[in-house]
Amino acid sequence: MSQWLDQVIEQAANLPAEGWLAQQRHMSLAKLKNRRWPSRKTEAWRYTSLSPIEKRQPLTETSDTATVAVPNINGLDCIDLVFSQGQLVSELSSVCLPEGVRVFSLNSADARELADGRFTAIKPERHLFGLINDSLIEAGVVIHIAEGVKVKQPIRIVNVTSGHADNHSRLLVSVAQRASAVIIEHGEGVDDSMNTAFSEFDIAAEASLEHYRFALFTDSALHAGGSHFRLADSSYLNSTILGFGSKLSRLDVDVEYTGENANADINAMYLLAEGENFDFQSCIEHAVPHCTTDEKVRGIVGDKAKANFNGRIHIHRHAQKTLAELNNRNLLLSRGGQINTKPELEIYADDVKCAHGATIAEIEERALYYLLSRGISRSQALIMLNFGFIQELINEINNEAIREWMTELLRTRFARMEVK
Amino acid sequence: MTEQIEQALSRQYEAGFVSEIESETFEAGLNEDIIRRLSAMKNEPEWMLEWRLKAYRTWLEMDDPDWAHLDYPPIDYQAVSYYSAPKSMKDKPKSLDEVDPELLRTYEKLGIPLHEQEMLAGVAVDAVFDSVSVVTTFREKLEEAGVIFCPISEAVHKYPELVKKYLGSVVPRSDNYFAALNSAVFTDGSFVYIPKGVRCPMELSTYFRINEQNTGQFERTLIVADEGSYVSYLEGCTAPQRDENQLHAAVVELVALDDAKIKYSTVQNWYPGDEQGRGGIYNFVTKRGICHTNAKISWTQVETGSAITWKYPSCVLKGDNSVGEFYSVALTRGRQQADTGTKMIHLGKNTRSTIISKGISARDSNNAYRGLVQMGPKADGARNFTQCDSLLIGDQCGAHTFPYIESRNPSAIVEHEATTSKVSDEQMFLCQQRGLDPEKAVSMIVNGFCKEVFKELPMEFAVEAGKLLEISLEGSVG
Amino acid sequence: MLSIKNLTASVEEKTILKGLNLEVKPGEVHAIMGPNGAGKSTLGYVLSGREGYEVESGGAELNGKDLLDMDIEERAREGLFLAFQYPVEIPGVSNMEFMKESVNAIREQRGEEPLSAAEFLKKAKEACKQVHLPLDFLKRGVNEGFSGGEKKRNEIMQMILLQPTLCILDESDSGLDIDALQVVAEGVNSQRSEDRSFIVVTHYQRLLDYIKPDFVHILADGKIVKSGDASLALEVESEGYAFLNKVEATA
Repeated sequence: MSQWLDQVIEQAANLPAEGWLAQQRHMSLAKLKNRRWPSRKTEAWRYTSLSPIEKRQPLTETSDTATVAVPNINGLDCIDLVFSQGQLVSELSSVCLPEGVRVFSLNSADARELADGRFTAIKPERHLFGLINDSLIEAGVVIHIAEGVKVKQPIRIVNVTSGHADNHSRLLVSVAQRASAVIIEHGEGVDDSMNTAFSEFDIAAEASLEHYRFALFTDSALHAGGSHFRLADSSYLNSTILGFGSKLSRLDVDVEYTGENANADINAMYLLAEGENFDFQSCIEHAVPHCTTDEKVRGIVGDKAKANFNGRIHIHRHAQKTLAELNNRNLLLSRGGQINTKPELEIYADDVKCAHGATIAEIEERALYYLLSRGISRSQALIMLNFGFIQELINEINNEAIREWMTELLRTRFARMEVK
Repeated sequence: MTEQIEQALSRQYEAGFVSEIESETFEAGLNEDIIRRLSAMKNEPEWMLEWRLKAYRTWLEMDDPDWAHLDYPPIDYQAVSYYSAPKSMKDKPKSLDEVDPELLRTYEKLGIPLHEQEMLAGVAVDAVFDSVSVVTTFREKLEEAGVIFCPISEAVHKYPELVKKYLGSVVPRSDNYFAALNSAVFTDGSFVYIPKGVRCPMELSTYFRINEQNTGQFERTLIVADEGSYVSYLEGCTAPQRDENQLHAAVVELVALDDAKIKYSTVQNWYPGDEQGRGGIYNFVTKRGICHTNAKISWTQVETGSAITWKYPSCVLKGDNSVGEFYSVALTRGRQQADTGTKMIHLGKNTRSTIISKGISARDSNNAYRGLVQMGPKADGARNFTQCDSLLIGDQCGAHTFPYIESRNPSAIVEHEATTSKVSDEQMFLCQQRGLDPEKAVSMIVNGFCKEVFKELPMEFAVEAGKLLEISLEGSVG
Repeated sequence: MLSIKNLTASVEEKTILKGLNLEVKPGEVHAIMGPNGAGKSTLGYVLSGREGYEVESGGAELNGKDLLDMDIEERAREGLFLAFQYPVEIPGVSNMEFMKESVNAIREQRGEEPLSAAEFLKKAKEACKQVHLPLDFLKRGVNEGFSGGEKKRNEIMQMILLQPTLCILDESDSGLDIDALQVVAEGVNSQRSEDRSFIVVTHYQRLLDYIKPDFVHILADGKIVKSGDASLALEVESEGYAFLNKVEATA
């Protein structure tokens, strides 16, 4: 058992006992108490050491919320809901919402109704930090998109944390039948902050969701979060994930199909330098027939950084006619860096098409030679080729402002990395 | 259509007979006394007994591994007998004429005649029956070339320096739970030494047979290929049809010194249990080889038997430019469960590895590939290619892939691909329209699926393998 | 040779053939033409016994034996050969090994000894040459990575090797350029004999310039609506299938 977890349990027990959320916390806390702290033998933490969290000093005072700036995405016209240092700082009542969109604080009675059958039900219980988040949350928002409403304007949930502060926030999104929405989860953390941001998305029949999750934690920041999706009949999910690395950053994405003919396209990227760690794990549950998953994960790892990817596709019995493809490609740029990847298939139905591939490589010599022969300098050629590898996924992003912002962000980050 | 395919696959287990042989069998149970008695039976030197006892004490401290995709009740290690040998073997027959004819008949029935004149020319056989080696053929001929091929129990006496140097050098006693158990109680198995620069003049093979009830088989194989030598080795295994599960925990260690090549092929056909999952062998095997500079180890396995298969033949590519290969076909039917694959540990520069795994699951069985490809920090220019294909037959089976890929070297390249497919109705229709019956059609399509692996089996053994398996693999080779 | 009487058959509970009659005598070549969806491919599948094609009523006899009562492979061994429109790939199974099994299964049925490897190889090479397939196609997986034209020629190669009595060619011309078409047609023509019959299913008249039919039938809505000699095909060519409306109106 970890001392840190003991503190969490104690802290959770001291939170206010009133309201529906307190009941929820209580239930999760009971489960958390029975949980064993992961060791290196725990499969889910095989490649990521939890020792930075174990050594974390307890919080003494709630930190100042005013010091943290909200990150800007140029040209993006979005509705921002901001959590800073673990507190919801946006005045929900004053946010101007499009027709058919409702936003509540997780504590409210309205939220309770929407949370029924969704909150803690979409997120699988196996995530330790999900349970920790369950037990500690005080702040969160619930978003509901009404039936048939197509919301073009992106809604962005920002989580920013700095200094020695904790941020345990929560998001629940319900996209009703035939509705559509664009949701951005934007997390940033620096210093020795800690963030556990978990979100649950219920996508109803024929609804669609364009989703982004930016896990931009750096330096000594600690992060363990997750985005969890439930897809009903003929619904569609398009998710783009970007991860930077920090002392410890872990992101879990789960997709569960509960209705037939639903599709999910997931593109994930990570670009790691210095001594950063990023651990990305996805689990796709094909529980019903006729659904399609296309997941592409690409990573570039330089310096002494370490990337881990675990991508599981689980085809349940009777989930016939499933199409599932997972592709993970990595570039390892430097001696001292490390990439671990495990694409997993677990299949119990025969009439399915499933494939996965994983590669770890260096830049193809022929491509490099081709560029050099056109007069491009070696360093420039390497940057072009390395970046091109990620650019392919960036190009698939629907939102132009995000596409440009991400290109710029990654180019800047890439330029700082040392290319052999 | 699926029903036809399943029927085609549900064949009888033809090696399921019991030989009427009077045996001397230890009572069930495991403790230090048992190990001392076992060691005394074999007249072992003190150092060997000590080695076993250390392994036993290590084993006591370890836990049964639970990470594999396998489901079986806890094994009662005290309910197993750790030694059983035909009484007739006690007097150590000096030639084949002195061996109990019933024993020879057993091997004949399995298609392995032990009289040299009747044997396939060019194949030497070590026949291991329960806990002892019955006979090793062509020894004189091999000795002329300087090749040592004998039961490991004999090697402990005759070549103690070689055994001391290499036993446990690739798979240490504490490597894993089953390796520790084997190190404590192994009874027999084969020892091979190929001297420098020698190309072994014959294919070597060991045929393992479990006969006695409630016994386990714990064999140990050690193959040392000295610099620049070459050897091709095949093992086969069968057991009687019984309602109880029987335990088999083997360890195989291969040492390929500089420029040596070892080709190791397995045709595993232990009793798989019946359609309801009653009986069958629990097969927990640790196989690993170490490759020194420019050396090559190639594992080929055809796994069709056992109720449980837990097996990961691996290569430690220590020397620069060394090569590791793993070719596997695993077929599970009924309620069989297999969790098998390989580890390729790239330590040296320009090391290469290839993994081709073909899993076929039918009925209620589960078949998992589990592999590790590791590129160490010094493995400059190393390459791995992995292809894992699964064929599912029917909608009640499971096919799984768990590949672990770890790289710490920027110039190393790893490529992994996995696919799943089924025997399609269109393929069956085409074959039948051309006059093939459904059984033939299935076996042809399944064989086509496995072709890349079957072509790795040595020619001489492909015939033998076919006989051992009694699975219609005709036409799959070449 | 082949006698089809009032054959009615359905796929997924949809009736495709609706009382089809056809008599094919030894040595004859019958062309079956018709618009898309008329049931042309269905006829070949029903006769060869493909799963999912249900015979509701009527009958079909091959050389006096009830064809519909037999398994797929029994029909094949009786001498029925279907050249597929879209031949399936069987990875890893070589053409050679596949055909050797097939030839010997059919020889066994005829009470003939299996061919030795050398005899078989000789025949296989000849068959390949006849359809201009390079010999290495024998070693390749069945249809694995073959182009459309190669697949079609491979079907004819198999037909030549198997020496069937009734050959059904299902759109063996589709997707072929003129050179490939001629190769296929030459392959077929070389096999014409007094005791072998052909049913050539095609959408276009083009193939029939090279394989001269004795009879041409127009199949529409599951029935043969018009029969005639080779000139009927030319009529279809110039007028299209539109005239069928007239036929139906008068029927």
